[in-house]
Amino acid sequence: MNERLRPDEAARALTEIEQRQEQVIEVALTPAWFWWVNAGLMVGLSAAVESRRPLVIGIGTAVFVTGVLAATGRVVIGALRRAQLRNRLLPPVGVLAILAFVAAILAASLPTSFALDAAGVRYPATCGVLLGATVMAVGGPLLMRYLRRLMLAGRVGGQR
Amino acid sequence: MIKPKFDELIHAPTRLSIVSLLAAAEWADFKFIRDSVGLSDSALSKQLTILDEAGYVEIRKGFVGKRPRTSARLTSVGRAAFEQHVAALREIVARAGASLLSP
Repeated sequence: MNERLRPDEAARALTEIEQRQEQVIEVALTPAWFWWVNAGLMVGLSAAVESRRPLVIGIGTAVFVTGVLAATGRVVIGALRRAQLRNRLLPPVGVLAILAFVAAILAASLPTSFALDAAGVRYPATCGVLLGATVMAVGGPLLMRYLRRLMLAGRVGGQR
Repeated sequence: MIKPKFDELIHAPTRLSIVSLLAAAEWADFKFIRDSVGLSDSALSKQLTILDEAGYVEIRKGFVGKRPRTSARLTSVGRAAFEQHVAALREIVARAGASLLSP
């Protein structure tokens, strides 16, 4: 059959292979809403803690924990119910990108919070976390887009 | 370097789709494969059985709570065959490209 397979048929088969692998990669990517939800929960928790009122702190902590668990559970369990992405599809540069993303969130929130606190601004941690949350909400989807590109390039049949 | 080898078992349209999906995954759920490829339960079972008998896939049956859960993954033999098949397809396309470029 190899000898009889026309080049256009082979090209069509390669396209089919790429599209099927892309379906699995899409399953593994974190949706944009996840970043916005977590960013909002982070800001809410900081604001609750800085209110210094025990009841508000308690409610804020409960909402944060419940929200993070629900959002993460939905994303992780939803993906695992369908398919587990092959680990090798994520190259080391992808892992570095994830670490850089976490570092960027911390770099945006911590120094800002300390600087605002030193300047005597009210709610310094909330303002700092708001900046970090913005980095998360904007950067999360960008990170996913970058990882998607890396994984598409790394799949079998993905480098024609 | 992967040695190109055309695999007729993999190249059948539905099996090519199934194996391609599995190649990007550690394992995939039966329902996910069925819905992605657009097959009926029985058609997918039949194709998975053929791939299983060839030693290309491993089928796992288990329970999540009380619900039965079937998943499949490519074996190392299946993965190697798939990679060789992709290399063979690329070779066919490349050869055609080379013949088009040559005067």
